[in-house]
Amino acid sequence: MVEFMKRALELASEALSAQEVPVGCVFVINSEIIAESRNSVNATHNPTRHAEINCIDQVIDYCKTNNIDYSMCFKNVTVYVTVEPCIMCASALSNLKIKEVVYGCANDRFGGKTVLDISNFYEYNYNLTGNLMATEAMALLKQFYKGANPNAPESKAKKEKV
Amino acid sequence: MSETREPPYKKVKIAETIDKFLQQIMLSKKNLQAIVSDELIKPVPFTKVYVGNVKNVKELSKIITILNEKIPIKELQHLKRAWKKEVLLCPVRYLNSMTQESIQEYLEHKVSELKDSFEYFKVMSLPSLPPRLKKQHIDYSKVWSCNFHPNEYLERLCGSDFFPVAELMKHRCYMGVAFETARYYLSEKNPDLQLSDILLRDINATVVVDPSICSIVAISFDNRECHPIQHSAMLAIDNVAKTQKGGAWNTSTDREYPPLPGIDNNLVLYLKNKFPNAKFGARNYVTKEVLDENRMSASDSPYLCTGYYVYMIREPCIMCSMGLVHARANRVFFCLSNNNQGALISKTKLHCVPSLNHRFEVFTEFL
Repeated sequence: MVEFMKRALELASEALSAQEVPVGCVFVINSEIIAESRNSVNATHNPTRHAEINCIDQVIDYCKTNNIDYSMCFKNVTVYVTVEPCIMCASALSNLKIKEVVYGCANDRFGGKTVLDISNFYEYNYNLTGNLMATEAMALLKQFYKGANPNAPESKAKKEKV
Repeated sequence: MSETREPPYKKVKIAETIDKFLQQIMLSKKNLQAIVSDELIKPVPFTKVYVGNVKNVKELSKIITILNEKIPIKELQHLKRAWKKEVLLCPVRYLNSMTQESIQEYLEHKVSELKDSFEYFKVMSLPSLPPRLKKQHIDYSKVWSCNFHPNEYLERLCGSDFFPVAELMKHRCYMGVAFETARYYLSEKNPDLQLSDILLRDINATVVVDPSICSIVAISFDNRECHPIQHSAMLAIDNVAKTQKGGAWNTSTDREYPPLPGIDNNLVLYLKNKFPNAKFGARNYVTKEVLDENRMSASDSPYLCTGYYVYMIREPCIMCSMGLVHARANRVFFCLSNNNQGALISKTKLHCVPSLNHRFEVFTEFL
């Protein structure tokens, strides 16, 4: 478990170097990484390009190329992601009937559990656990928001977090 | 399926039905309705409070001053402290229930100087949230006196004639474009398309408009059959990104360097024929570097869906609705509700979740 989260954290650091919100994610089946990615919102100018969405795309591309039914694939996937999936990603993962999600730190701005518990809206719910290497994941986020705009007044959301 | 066996007149009739439906959407003068948060439309929760009837009315202002100082009620500041001869003492839950403390004992303990000021006490149920609409204020005022700051915009938004007719017809026309888009793509596979194929199938079409230049910026049609997260709103957000030198998905809009990134060229030709007055294309995208160089402000360039209106034939699901929050859409319009997955009225009202950093307005009631 820890090794996969470590890989996700590496991807998150990579996002930070690319001036993206530092979130990294790996999709795992039977202890094997089948997709890995990080946030690419700023590069694509598409605010939905979160690490999880990029991984989902990788899996679908792979399945299409190899003629595999993607739904069979997703149902065995455990997702390791450094930050709790947002409402959008959590819904996407629920729709795909993913097996399990393990996250680092909670997402108190957009979290699909913390801000709005989307499990109330779906018949299928994946297994969700958090707090794996949360300090490391949070440290990356803090570094990003610190560097983003030193002159900006501290936002209300951030104040509450501290 | 049974294409060959159907008499030719039936085809015409089907097309007429879809046309008739679209005419109704586009020509009806019925105003749209905003979907607002429950606290504006549902009965507010009440909270139980102790009220004391003052013996000597001349002491009323003194009593209020003392109470405000000694027993401030932060959570009920919308309620005035006194009404006629009655004074709001405190919520019932302030009293110690373990010792079965009475209100008289509570007052003696907290404000001993007022222990003999009241003729009698009673428990009342009063609204626990401030009134936000005139109607709520009138209702509340029947039971107690409330502070109220009227908000004219909110009054109009919750009313039944929000849009002036000229503007209403624009929204209805763009919704027509969304339905024509669905018809265009569905007809490719099924020339005998029926109205029910558009209304009942789990598909969606999205039209993104920049109201500042009255122009269609991006259009998309559902591709969830091939790609489970390519719902039309997700595709529309990516198509908008393509108008801003971005984008992540290779889709039909990319065919042969289209003159309009974000919109399929053949679809534009089809729509221009149906809607001769419609304008297509986004404002010029300017990179941050160029903005800084020329000392232009951020608003001189489009940014994600900021300020954009989004028209969808069906209420978006939770994933898509949250995608539109991330994209900072300004308003979302939808025609059909989505009972199983819809996140703007059916399952939840995502745009009313108070802790989200961006909120958009939602309108419906096209039918």
